[in-house]
Amino acid sequence: MKSASLAIRDNAEPEDVALFSSFITSATFWLLFTTAVGLLLSFKFPYPDWATSPFLSFGRLRAIHTNGTFYGWASIALSGTAIYVAARTSGIGVSNKWLAWLSLACYNLAAICGTITLDLGINYGDQEYREWVWWVKIIFLLGVLLSGLAIVQTVANRVEREIYISNWYTIGGFVFTPILAIVAIIPAYQVGLGQVAVQGFYMHNAVGMWFTFLALGITYYALPKLLNRPIYSYALGVLGFWTNLVFYPVIGAHHFEFSPLPWWFQTLAIVFSVGMLVPVWAGTANFALTMRARGETVRRSYALPFIVVGVAYYFLGSTQGTVEAFRSLQTIWHFTSFTIGHSHATMYGFITFIAWGGIYALLPRATGKQPSLLATGLHFWFATIGVTAYVIALSIGGTIQGLAWAAGNPFIASVDAAAPFWVARAVAGSLMFLAHIIFAYNVYLMTLAPGPESDHWEPPKRGKAATA
Amino acid sequence: MNRGMNNVWSLVLVSAIIYGALAILMGVVPGMVLSRTPPTVGSQPYTAQEERGRDIYVSEGCEYCHTQNVRPLKQDEVFGRPSTAGDYAYDTPELLGDHRNGPDLTNIGGRQPSKIWQYIHLWEPRSVVHGSIMPRYTWLFAVKPKADPGDEVVPIPSGFGPTKGVVVTTTQSRDLVSYLESLKQVSLTKRTGK
Repeated sequence: MKSASLAIRDNAEPEDVALFSSFITSATFWLLFTTAVGLLLSFKFPYPDWATSPFLSFGRLRAIHTNGTFYGWASIALSGTAIYVAARTSGIGVSNKWLAWLSLACYNLAAICGTITLDLGINYGDQEYREWVWWVKIIFLLGVLLSGLAIVQTVANRVEREIYISNWYTIGGFVFTPILAIVAIIPAYQVGLGQVAVQGFYMHNAVGMWFTFLALGITYYALPKLLNRPIYSYALGVLGFWTNLVFYPVIGAHHFEFSPLPWWFQTLAIVFSVGMLVPVWAGTANFALTMRARGETVRRSYALPFIVVGVAYYFLGSTQGTVEAFRSLQTIWHFTSFTIGHSHATMYGFITFIAWGGIYALLPRATGKQPSLLATGLHFWFATIGVTAYVIALSIGGTIQGLAWAAGNPFIASVDAAAPFWVARAVAGSLMFLAHIIFAYNVYLMTLAPGPESDHWEPPKRGKAATA
Repeated sequence: MNRGMNNVWSLVLVSAIIYGALAILMGVVPGMVLSRTPPTVGSQPYTAQEERGRDIYVSEGCEYCHTQNVRPLKQDEVFGRPSTAGDYAYDTPELLGDHRNGPDLTNIGGRQPSKIWQYIHLWEPRSVVHGSIMPRYTWLFAVKPKADPGDEVVPIPSGFGPTKGVVVTTTQSRDLVSYLESLKQVSLTKRTGK
């Protein structure tokens, strides 16, 4: 089997292909919509008097951008891919497909209701990534539970003996996130400073226990599959799983350093932020060693370059997060645009690139329809150059902002000093948005566009792995 | 590989127990303990009007650019004394924030006591702060051809107002500004109260 060739077709059930295609089409819609909002927001920095109506105001749209990219785009794309991976690695079709369809409906309903309520100014405080009101969160939670159940049942019915490492990670994500959502929703222990503690816990766990686990799970499947070579070390993968599980929940308070949260609580978060280097470096090393000496395969693949950039940003963004947690650097970088650069290095450079890598790796195999070579190349370079310029601009701009404050200048001096870097961010963001339009065209080619008939599917013979 | 872990349900159960325990330890317990923090001596609960203004602050997303968290650092001295745990006893949802595209507002009522300035600034921030990137909140005001008796007219600097008529405050702008004016730090050394 030549893995770099795109002519390979998975022997997937047509219903599973339809399911996978629908998840990715929905996710792509949310990517386009929410990054258009993000682009509008970036232009409001140089042009604050532009598009000033309550429904287009910065304070309302910002949460629509963040929640929409998190829970519309990334969650739907990663869940859909994880369900498909679970079926492939289990050597069977998705058990109980209706669970997955219902899950997709819940995700979309939550994202629609969340967007509308936020635009009307109805939110759960301006607390990052959990601005949706409780009933919208519950619709989303149902989506997570249903997708998770579909995956667990599929894996439980597998013909393989071992649970493939991908499914460890994705099942982990689907187990942790409902627990996290419930902790975030119950109001009893969230009064004043108590809510600050819960917010620190929530916002970092939403990123680290949901998106990180799903993205790593997909990488553990897509990478060996594309290279036609086993993962370098199964043990490193398992080490990463357990250390991520134990270290990540402790680091949330590093978002509130120098706040009135107990000092030891902040220190504990900083110590465990350093501990996060263990799973991050273990995972990165595992992926890098799996790819060793295969530069030519990477170059000729549609999907692998996205995964290479994703892994690079996983390493850079997460290591940056550790460094950022040190008190000495927080005094300068906290509250500045530097952190927005960091969140795009991770949620975009890492999570979104892995999602794209997974989609380009698996969707053409599922549907038998290829993306355009030129479009994929443009998508890759616009997105890579875009996000890199974005992160560099805000890292420099944010540092200058922080130094301006430390120098004791009047506040507006920090705004003036950061202004050119905000313009650079808007330009970089435009390039990223252009990449998304091209990606959407590719998704059309891979799903809805007319293509080869899908009637050559044969039911897999039980006992024979269809996972290779 | 551990054979026990090849049962998917034990993988689900074990990871749920470990994460559940950590969620209680790092999320729920700190939340419970800190939710009981008594208010700073001398601080007062918000009035009904201030509470309504605070709801507007939350609903318009002011926290995305304004913190209410003065750190014990030199660069934060300009915003007031360092915030203490008791300062947040009446603040649910919490509004500490983690971005300062604009200045910290913990003590804005003390630092900028003029209501008129706040109204003008909300109508068009660039009319009073050159280079400001804050959005304008014109929808919190009403534009009338002529002020009625009892109306509070906002003296908008020339060039920034409507072409015709006058800008008057509404319940919303009055509520929001009353909340902003209520943001005054209580002294930790002088126990005089508000």
